[in-house]
Amino acid sequence: MERREFTVADAARYDQRSPVRWIAMHLLRYKRFLAVSMGGTLLLNVLAALQPTLIGSAFSEVLRPQPSRDALARIALTMLGLVLGTGLVDIIRAYAGEFLAKRVERDARDELYRSLLGKSQTFHNRQRVGDIMARAAGDVTQIESMIMPGLDTLFDSFTSLIITLLFIGLLKPELLLTPLVFTVLFGLALRHYVNHLRPVAGAMREQFGTLNAGLTETVTGIEVVKTSAQEDQERAKFLTAARRYRDLFVQNGAVQARYLPPLLLSAAMAGAFLHGAWLLTQGRLSLGALVTYLALMGNLRFAVGISIWTFNLAQLGLAAAERILTLLREETELDENRAGHSAPMRGEIVFDHVTFRYGNTPILTDVSFRAAPGQTVAIVGQTGSGKSTLTKLVNRIYDIESGRILIDGTDVREWSLDSLRGQVSTIEQDIVLFSRSIAENIGFSRAGASEAAIEAAAADAQADGFIRGFKDGYATVIGERGVTLSGGQRQRLAIARALLTDPRILILDDSTSAVDSATEDLIQAAIRRLLQGRTTLLITHRLSQIRWADQVLVLQGGRVVDQGTHDELLARCDLYRRIFAHHRPAGAPAPELVAIGG
Amino acid sequence: MGFVMDGLDPEPYDRAYSDHQLVRRIAGYFRDKLPLIGLVAVIIVLNSIMDTVLPILISGGIDTLAKGQNVTGAGLLIGGILLAGALSWTFNYGRQRLTAQAVGDVVLQLRADVFAGVLGRDLSFYDEYRSGKIVSRVTGDTEDFSNVVTLSLNLISQSLLLVILTGVLLVINLRLTLLALIIAPIIMLCALGFRRIARLTIQRSRRAGATVNAAVQEAMSGITVAKNFRQEGRIYSEFRNVNEQSYAMNLRSGFVFSSIFPLLVTVAGLGTTVVVFFGGGAVLDGQVSAGQWYLFVQAISLFWFPLTSLASFWSQFQQGLAAGERVFALIDAEPRLHQTGHEPVPTLAGRIEFRDLTFRYNDQETVLADFNLTIPAGQTVALVGHTGAGKSTLGKLVARFYEYQAGELLIDGRDIRSFDLPTYRRHLGVVPQVPFLFSGTVADNIRYAQPTASDAQVATVAAQVGGGDWLAALPSGLATDVGEGGRGLSLGQRQLIALARVLLQDPAILILDEATASVDPLTEAQIQEGLDLLRHGRTAIIIAHRLSTIRDADRIIVLDHGHILEEGTHDGLMAQAGPYAHLYNTYFRHQSPDYQPGSGFVPVRVPLPALAAEQPA
Repeated sequence: MERREFTVADAARYDQRSPVRWIAMHLLRYKRFLAVSMGGTLLLNVLAALQPTLIGSAFSEVLRPQPSRDALARIALTMLGLVLGTGLVDIIRAYAGEFLAKRVERDARDELYRSLLGKSQTFHNRQRVGDIMARAAGDVTQIESMIMPGLDTLFDSFTSLIITLLFIGLLKPELLLTPLVFTVLFGLALRHYVNHLRPVAGAMREQFGTLNAGLTETVTGIEVVKTSAQEDQERAKFLTAARRYRDLFVQNGAVQARYLPPLLLSAAMAGAFLHGAWLLTQGRLSLGALVTYLALMGNLRFAVGISIWTFNLAQLGLAAAERILTLLREETELDENRAGHSAPMRGEIVFDHVTFRYGNTPILTDVSFRAAPGQTVAIVGQTGSGKSTLTKLVNRIYDIESGRILIDGTDVREWSLDSLRGQVSTIEQDIVLFSRSIAENIGFSRAGASEAAIEAAAADAQADGFIRGFKDGYATVIGERGVTLSGGQRQRLAIARALLTDPRILILDDSTSAVDSATEDLIQAAIRRLLQGRTTLLITHRLSQIRWADQVLVLQGGRVVDQGTHDELLARCDLYRRIFAHHRPAGAPAPELVAIGG
Repeated sequence: MGFVMDGLDPEPYDRAYSDHQLVRRIAGYFRDKLPLIGLVAVIIVLNSIMDTVLPILISGGIDTLAKGQNVTGAGLLIGGILLAGALSWTFNYGRQRLTAQAVGDVVLQLRADVFAGVLGRDLSFYDEYRSGKIVSRVTGDTEDFSNVVTLSLNLISQSLLLVILTGVLLVINLRLTLLALIIAPIIMLCALGFRRIARLTIQRSRRAGATVNAAVQEAMSGITVAKNFRQEGRIYSEFRNVNEQSYAMNLRSGFVFSSIFPLLVTVAGLGTTVVVFFGGGAVLDGQVSAGQWYLFVQAISLFWFPLTSLASFWSQFQQGLAAGERVFALIDAEPRLHQTGHEPVPTLAGRIEFRDLTFRYNDQETVLADFNLTIPAGQTVALVGHTGAGKSTLGKLVARFYEYQAGELLIDGRDIRSFDLPTYRRHLGVVPQVPFLFSGTVADNIRYAQPTASDAQVATVAAQVGGGDWLAALPSGLATDVGEGGRGLSLGQRQLIALARVLLQDPAILILDEATASVDPLTEAQIQEGLDLLRHGRTAIIIAHRLSTIRDADRIIVLDHGHILEEGTHDGLMAQAGPYAHLYNTYFRHQSPDYQPGSGFVPVRVPLPALAAEQPA
């Protein structure tokens, strides 16, 4: 049983060992549609092959010594029925195929989505949202078009080939000579063609991507290009890429021009005609049968024309399935631990010689500290020093490698994930709000929160004022009709969201910048309210917040280089002093700080 | 058959070209390829003739067999069939190869021209159009244009086949030809009607698809929030609903698409039935021979394909022309910068003088009116003021990114309009708010403005900025790959790299737009140290957002709606208790380490006129 952070009870499961098995299993969920689609295709091709037979008998009738107009009319009427019947069967089988393709698309997307929800944060951090989107949108659609029209047409043209050959064999077995030779040669020519085209077409697509990427870079970086007068450098880069694309384009055209099957088909027609004419002169074949034979040969054209396209679709579909499967198969490191420790928290956090690496890159090494219940610990360090990672270990967004993290004396890995994450709230640096109403965004953290509770949380977060400023108040939908929120407003909504769950432990990545002091006054008041009575790990760029924290951890390269109060660190830690260096009045003695009173 | 139906929004710089102009313009690009094009035309005609000859020969063969059992005649015909097939293939081969060559060359030339056009635009152009749109013109539209050329040539060859064959059939029997052609309008109508319905259903299912994608996108960007609050079940059930809706829409559009081919095939089948019946009758009446009858039956299947392509051709053709039009519009757009001369600028001291300068981005709003300011060489000037006060405009005018409408801008006493811009700009170092990095390594980016700089030089400047210890935080130091657009690095790191880039460039004038977004305190300290180093000995214009930067400046200029309200040093201005003190209360107070909410105000005696409401930049 694989591990998941999120599961759905009655979900269908699919064989994920190989793309072919996976797609087959998806298809087999809908056996009836599959049967109608395949059976219908078979019937369709039989009916389609009967048409040349009828044409042949029309010729036979007309060329008979005593031809009858009535017989000709009967044949034409039969043909009319046949054409209409063929059309009907064709529609039915196509619709069955559509049902099949669209359902598999829906199911695959659902499977992917469910699996993504169950993956760990480590996984999600590794994946760019854009890549996941490409899988969920592009690759899933690719699978749909692989089935319809891809596999559908592939089966259709294959059946058409077999049945046409069968009918020719029924006409006279020795007539099979030309079409069989043709089929073999055709297969070989096709393989040769595809093998030559694929690398060129692939290189061409790739080069188009390179061309676009380079161009995008020039256009986005135009200020730098212009101010450093590097237009010539950019022009040369672009022309090189464009010229390379042109060469591939010409090469691609040459390969396409060499497509041999049409030539083979004309040769086959000539061969068939020769063979038929010879049998005719010997009296072993009627003229009508010859016409039937030639018309059946014409049916082979369908298989010739369509096959590259369908093979291509099938291949693209398999590749897409493989990419989706890679994503589905990714193991997740955590599980829900439903049976784990579950209790109200007091909020003591202890890091005991914690080491964590990300792949092979060490992120945190031997980190130890203790936060007493209710304390605020500010974490200071450069980008990449491990600040955010440190905070994410507390609610097991990541699991550590060695050492221990204790909350109220219990290792976080022993807590049930529900109880742990339910009592630890995080306000991320990049605040994510969903495009729904403000009330729903605040209430997102606690299913079934009352309107009054939501408004109280908003008021505590100093957000009530601006929310009521909107025409629709709490029902205002974020992102709709030009409703955009400033960084400060977003942050206050996130604070309200966290306040609603009343967590014991708070992780606050407070790195958004307020542009003005009035907003800052509001945010800081909200944060003060938020910190009251909670243990807080605080990542902040605000010097005043660092200054007033109960404790400061200074991180460098994943190690705690010093920890203590502001005054202690200012006295003994060079790195810490450097941070405040630019805020001393020019010429003033080192320890004294600027004081501008109001 | 392609159903290209992406909506294309027209842009204001588009101009309508008359058909005549457009054709002349396109022809201009093909002029060098004239012999090649002529050859292609000849080949197309020959190719179509050969394609028509094949069924005619077979029908002739049938007649020979039906009448006299003349095997030698049949043998001759078979030779003819083989020859026609081989020639048709060879002509087709030649046509495709030559077309690819001609089109490839033309598109290359077109791309070079349009790229030059893009590079020649001033910054206002880039402000107005998103980069994606510009890129799609240079590559996407030129590609569409080339597709239409290829498509047209294919279609001409197919239509020619249609015309020649119809001509042959008409000669044989008028009535039967008309009967066979009955299906032509029906097929065309079916195909056109289908396109109309398909367009609607595609739009609907695209919309449904976009909803699903939006749901996935939102869930994936918000996955951390969902995890933190254990709300995965909720977003899953919401996703299920939209997925189900999108399924319903997709199924409907699938039905539409799956109906068209059975329908067209049935119409063709009906045509065949008609020809079989009436053709057989005509044979019995002695009007046509059996072989000719066979030719009519064959003709139906030969007609079918060109007819369906014709239905979709017109809109594709128009789109290709529209793409061409957009490309030409970009090439032909009027430049907005007017240089009066191209005097080289070998050295620069860095004195900047605005004299009665007036500037507006557009007709509605004047940003600077009769603006006067002189910055002596070597001075650091901090510009402060609300959003829209004109701070960044000053820097952009000095960089000559925009054209001003009146007055003068003098650099070292010379008119900026008389400069050769590339040599002038080599003396400018610009650090934007969010510095842009080119893909490549950190070292590549530092040396961008000086491509010939040695590794040692790069390492030296990198070590000078912020004491160089920011390099230790990069996974591979100077060799670290910055990722697409610098995405692999933090904002602070990008700023440090931009500072190093400018330091290596060693400009006379530094224009720096300080980031409003905050950077972690340690990196901030490194940036400040880098800035101290960089502004030393240069003229520096800093659009300042940091209290520490402002305090260190030689001169603070308080701007409001394009006017200078006050200038001086931090301490002097604070003592004046005027507009600057007001700005301090509004923007800089909270940056002090001693700040507590609601405290730290300084007294203001003179209220700032027309104080705009606070707006985030």
